Amino acid sequence: MSTQSNDGEILLSVKNLVKRFPIKGGILNREVATVRAVSDVSFDIRKGETLGLVGESGCGKSTLGRSILRLIEPTSGNIFFKGQDITKLGADEMRRLRRRMQIIFQDPYAALNPRMTVEQILSEPLEIHGLAESREAKRKRIFQLMDLVGLRRESISRYPHEFSGGQRQRICIARALAVEPEFIVCDEPVSALDVSIQAQIVNLLQDLQKELGLTYLFIAHDLKVVEHISTRVAVMYLGKIVETAESEVLYENPQHPYTRALLSAIPIPDPTIKKERIILRGDVPSPINPPAGCYFHPRCPIATQKCQEVWPKLYEINGESKIHRAACLYADRKDGPDEGILSSR
Amino acid sequence: MRSIRRLSDLEGKEAMSEKILEVKNLETSFRLEEGVVVAVAGVSFDVYKGKTLGIVGESGCGKSVTSLSIMRLIPNPPGKITGGEILYKGKNLLDFDAAAMRKVRGNEISMIFQEPMTSLNPVFTIGNQIIEAIALHQNLSKKECRNKAIEMLKLVGIPSPETRIDDYPHQLSGGMRQRVMIAMALSCNPQVLIADEPTTALDVTIQAQILELLRELQNRVGMAMILITHDLGVVAEVCDEVVVMYAGKVVEQGSVEEIFKNPKHPYTRGLLNSIPTMKKDPTGKVKKTRLETIPGIVPNMLHLPKGCRFQDRCTFVLDACRQAEPELRVIKGDDRLPHAIRCIRDI
Ligand SMILES: Nc1ncnc2c1ncn2[C@@H]1O[C@H](COP(=O)(O)OP(=O)(O)OP(=O)(O)O)[C@@H](O)[C@H]1O
Ligand SMILES: Nc1ncnc2c1ncn2[C@@H]1O[C@H](COP(=O)(O)OP(=O)(O)OP(=O)(O)O)[C@@H](O)[C@H]1O
Ligand code: SF4
Ligand SMILES: [Mg+2]
Ligand SMILES: [Mg+2]
Repeated sequence: MSTQSNDGEILLSVKNLVKRFPIKGGILNREVATVRAVSDVSFDIRKGETLGLVGESGCGKSTLGRSILRLIEPTSGNIFFKGQDITKLGADEMRRLRRRMQIIFQDPYAALNPRMTVEQILSEPLEIHGLAESREAKRKRIFQLMDLVGLRRESISRYPHEFSGGQRQRICIARALAVEPEFIVCDEPVSALDVSIQAQIVNLLQDLQKELGLTYLFIAHDLKVVEHISTRVAVMYLGKIVETAESEVLYENPQHPYTRALLSAIPIPDPTIKKERIILRGDVPSPINPPAGCYFHPRCPIATQKCQEVWPKLYEINGESKIHRAACLYADRKDGPDEGILSSR
Repeated sequence: MRSIRRLSDLEGKEAMSEKILEVKNLETSFRLEEGVVVAVAGVSFDVYKGKTLGIVGESGCGKSVTSLSIMRLIPNPPGKITGGEILYKGKNLLDFDAAAMRKVRGNEISMIFQEPMTSLNPVFTIGNQIIEAIALHQNLSKKECRNKAIEMLKLVGIPSPETRIDDYPHQLSGGMRQRVMIAMALSCNPQVLIADEPTTALDVTIQAQILELLRELQNRVGMAMILITHDLGVVAEVCDEVVVMYAGKVVEQGSVEEIFKNPKHPYTRGLLNSIPTMKKDPTGKVKKTRLETIPGIVPNMLHLPKGCRFQDRCTFVLDACRQAEPELRVIKGDDRLPHAIRCIRDI
């Protein structure tokens, strides 16, 4: 994206990222179909900010998050971390760079080796990256990490199953922080947790961000949590970003019909409020065989004939914010309505 | 665009409706190697025709065990209903033999289970499974059963049900599988529907669709519903009454308005306060810069503290809270809709 608001150094810049998964079949095991998990995604994240990424199950959020760290190889596109194109790095260089870029997963149960104690779990990254000279130094660092995420020091020799979900997520966060990263992909870090515990972890992530100057890509499907924690938000639909804006702008003035439907669907914890709700009809399309034109048109309440033919790009939206963009022909566009780009893949 | 309504709103008044299910002092225990866990420790509530009762609370507090107990589906061993009564239309289900209970299940009381994938059989088509449920309880020919199944699939909004009926579960999306579960649960017009986290695994847009569907069906047939969820937003929108559970006990109960406008148990307050508010929050609350939390975690069910079960996480705790377990006491309302809390303090 060329136009950006705010100041601050760009830490991560994703350009035209594409990830396709081949589906093989038949006797020759040839590619019979392709999952278009991420299609032509571009965005920047500035140092110290949190970009929230929302969208429904299967829209490509995790694939995008993992591609950025090259835990899965992008099909095409570029990823610049502090100006360096990391898609060009070899395996060794990439391993070294991973110190700076970490990831926290949704399921704190699956993410931890059940046979390792907290001490062993936190030692591993320190050893891999040669960050602990002596045993004492290592222990000191582990205690420091445990303090940082609010784990009791005396639980250092305990195993993951002896902890609750929230505490396990704290261990995962401590492990990510062990190597002093600058950037963390948080892939649904609180989705598996109860509300009361969710709040503890969200606060912890925010405190750590302030204290350590961290930058986050925060993936979640709870729009309330995303608004709470994010500086900016990107909404994904079927592998594409369909709207992006500063968090407040997006929630106040959503432009894409999908964003509007999402926001209207949030259940409000107040029984006296009768909310006008946009109920989407129609089937969720498949990323194997996305519809022609705007990917959202089969479910869109305002779709026209033109939406089936034209593939909308991310248009700049009228308003104060320079980074408000939406991929809808009928959004309040700065350039006025045009024909968009003809449907092509 | 549609707005949300409860049945009681539609009628425009507090309808005098009949009590259909009474859970009285239900106690369900599990015998484990380390000891006995009393997962549900004396839970009572009433369910009324045409109304929705919500059960909320943290993971492990006993919501699913309560509903499985009503269905008499507690795995034994290790589990057992060790006390109380479950009165359905005045008759105690705990006295029913297996055959009588089979008749009740699906026919009178139906359940949507927490995990749709584990409760649909992957080797049978969804049609087979719905038809089996119908055939079990209704005296219909094969053809009639199939037609009824198609009708049910149509009712829950599955597109082209005539062809979809021959799909296997894995050929459907999560939201569609959940709708198949609902179709199955509703295929015999139950009087009571127990929905255990029916939308938790779904996206918000699909959740909105399913909740609207449940509401529509309820309005049409006057079914009573028990909705289990940990999403307080969903409770506020769908339920008439709410039971808040903590560590196997009811800690607060009352009408949905009371629970949300006037929560009196420190745990309920904590839960409501930990939800992030949005900048343009329709509730009119100011956006929080920092979330409030309930410190600590739920107690180990094998080593419960003496006195109030919430004491170690409670900001209002007194010495007296550690002496004896507080009784559930009515603080407002009448017999039909009491607002009760299990806390000695008035906050
Ligand atoms: N290894 C893979 N091989 C083939 N398809 C894949 C693979 N990984 C992901 N996909 C597909 O890519 C799409 C995007 O998946 P992804 O996991 O990124 O979604 P998501 O937005 O993270 O969803 P959720 O909210 O459920 O976590 C899906 O259709 C998924 O089935
Ligand atoms: N089959 C079982 N064997 C042993 N213990 C069980 C069994 N089923 C439930 N329990 C115990 O009973 C307690 C209550 O569990 P329950 O499944 O009712 O929780 P829940 O409130 O439904 O939680 P969630 O929100 O996670 O679904 C838990 O402590 C659990 O460990
Ligand atoms: S009884 Fe005491 S510890 Fe328990 S909730 Fe009330 S104030 Fe808190
Ligand atoms: Mg994911
Ligand atoms: Mg449960």
